[in-house]
Amino acid sequence: MKRRTRKAFISLIIAIAAFAILAIELYPIAITVINGFRRDIVILSGQPFKLSQLTLRSYQMVLKNIGFQLGMKNSIIIGLLSTGISVLIGAMASYGIARFRFSWRNGLAYSFLVFRMLPQISLVIALYLMFSYVGIRDTIGGITLAHTSFNVPYVIWLLLPFFTAVDKAYEEAAMVDGCNRYGVFFRIFLPIVAPGLVVAAVFAFLNSWNEFLYALILTGVNAKTAPIAINGLLGGETLTWGQACAAGTLMLVPVFFFTLGMQKFLIRGITAGGVKG
Amino acid sequence: MSSRKPDTDGVSVSLIKGKARHRAPFLFLLPALLVVFAVLIFPIVFSFFVSGFNWPLSEGAGTRKFVGLGNYLALSVDPEFWNSLKLQLGFIFIAIPIELLFGFAAALLLNREFFGARLVRSLLLLPVFFLPILSGMTWRFMLQPRYGPLNALLLKLGAPEITWLGRPVTAYAAIIVQDIWRMWPFMFMLLYAGLTSIPQELNEAAEIDGAGFWLKLRSITIPMLTPTIMTAVLLRIIDALRVFSEVYVMTEGGPGSSTTLFSLYTHRQAFGYQKVGMASAMAIFLLCISIAFALTLVRKNMSLDSLEEKAGGG
Repeated sequence: MKRRTRKAFISLIIAIAAFAILAIELYPIAITVINGFRRDIVILSGQPFKLSQLTLRSYQMVLKNIGFQLGMKNSIIIGLLSTGISVLIGAMASYGIARFRFSWRNGLAYSFLVFRMLPQISLVIALYLMFSYVGIRDTIGGITLAHTSFNVPYVIWLLLPFFTAVDKAYEEAAMVDGCNRYGVFFRIFLPIVAPGLVVAAVFAFLNSWNEFLYALILTGVNAKTAPIAINGLLGGETLTWGQACAAGTLMLVPVFFFTLGMQKFLIRGITAGGVKG
Repeated sequence: MSSRKPDTDGVSVSLIKGKARHRAPFLFLLPALLVVFAVLIFPIVFSFFVSGFNWPLSEGAGTRKFVGLGNYLALSVDPEFWNSLKLQLGFIFIAIPIELLFGFAAALLLNREFFGARLVRSLLLLPVFFLPILSGMTWRFMLQPRYGPLNALLLKLGAPEITWLGRPVTAYAAIIVQDIWRMWPFMFMLLYAGLTSIPQELNEAAEIDGAGFWLKLRSITIPMLTPTIMTAVLLRIIDALRVFSEVYVMTEGGPGSSTTLFSLYTHRQAFGYQKVGMASAMAIFLLCISIAFALTLVRKNMSLDSLEEKAGGG
């Protein structure tokens, strides 16, 4: 009995400590969300916990802001386009690596993994010159292509564990029935790995959604994304924390929705091939 | 990239393999290879080419001229370059060990059941998925003089307020704190996963032998976790080498050059000083370092082989 009370006591202490750590850790996120609902005058009064005079004014302002509207629209379009392209191309390549044996297979697979880890700053200057030369700088197509560059290797490695886990018997049966390689891939294999494709699509979309450097360099007025618009809100001399935080909170909605919905796949999602198993 | 010998002989001859041998996997891989060539390999080669030139960003900033290794030599005597490299290394060597320590401690603390344990473990990960630019933004807000929450707290405690982002040393500390805040839960996530995969019998056996907390930690937990720790640290180094957005939004590299990390200086060279050749030389330099770390990680983990073993066994 005594042992049990002691155990319960320790467990209570740990729970309190854990929630305290959590509260401190989440405060910077909470303040961003809260500031979006506070009047600028309250924000600038320096009372970090004051929750009076909550208002939707910042949201109204930012949703009317033409730059942010455009950025949000572009972010969604670019995110969806680069996700669609990357998942299709990545799934094909991942299947090629998972199911075929060829001499440069390992080298190729590992190169994709290395490509995923290249610093964007090392590529963006050349991309800027190339895109300017071809005339696709500051276009939706250009920035989508740039986002595809990190999403394709990412998707390939994210899908590999899903793909190697599928029993070959399904495909073998289909081939006996006279289905060809490509029919097998599109009609038999992809439906089986649909859950994996969803995971890959979600994380590829988030990669694109969160991306800043490529958008900063490779877009201007036409194809700028929402993060660039938010950075613009912070730039001026007039401090508009309320609007910046409201805009930031809007950007966070899909992030939180997806990360909390994808609990099981978070480690795979964030390391994609970098971690064994 | 050298290709390793594929281990086809060990795999049983299936129908698929029999047919596949004659059909090139090339068509499945072609689209990915095209993308990789167009937006990864070509830009790298092109960067290398540009790094051999005095290459102004715009017409007005001078004329294009071949200088060979001139840009690399110029960098080697550029104090700003060494400064950015020093700041970058400091960033990595200060932030990552602290993240590892916090993550490890939290993993040990939270590796048990208590009321709300699952909730805490999942909500702790939110900062990792927080947008980098928002992380920069919220920390910029937190550290504002007068109304920033940290200074408001200091004032309330009677301490003098500090213009954190206005002074070189505190600004540098601030970008590191920002990174620690955002990324220690990443360490926690990987180490916690590692901890839960340690067989419980090991700890139980040690307890029967009378081993206390520290002995178990030293002789079971840490040795069992070492591979995970190595992987996590390598991933973090590769990631920290390319830090840009958070710091750009938070300080834009200032005040002065006190938070101009490597990528921020590269950016400044290209789009501030308009010296694209110099910036490309820096890009190639960083690329070599990143590839070295990435190859270490890839070679260490050999994920492709382990994936197949798992698939073969299951």
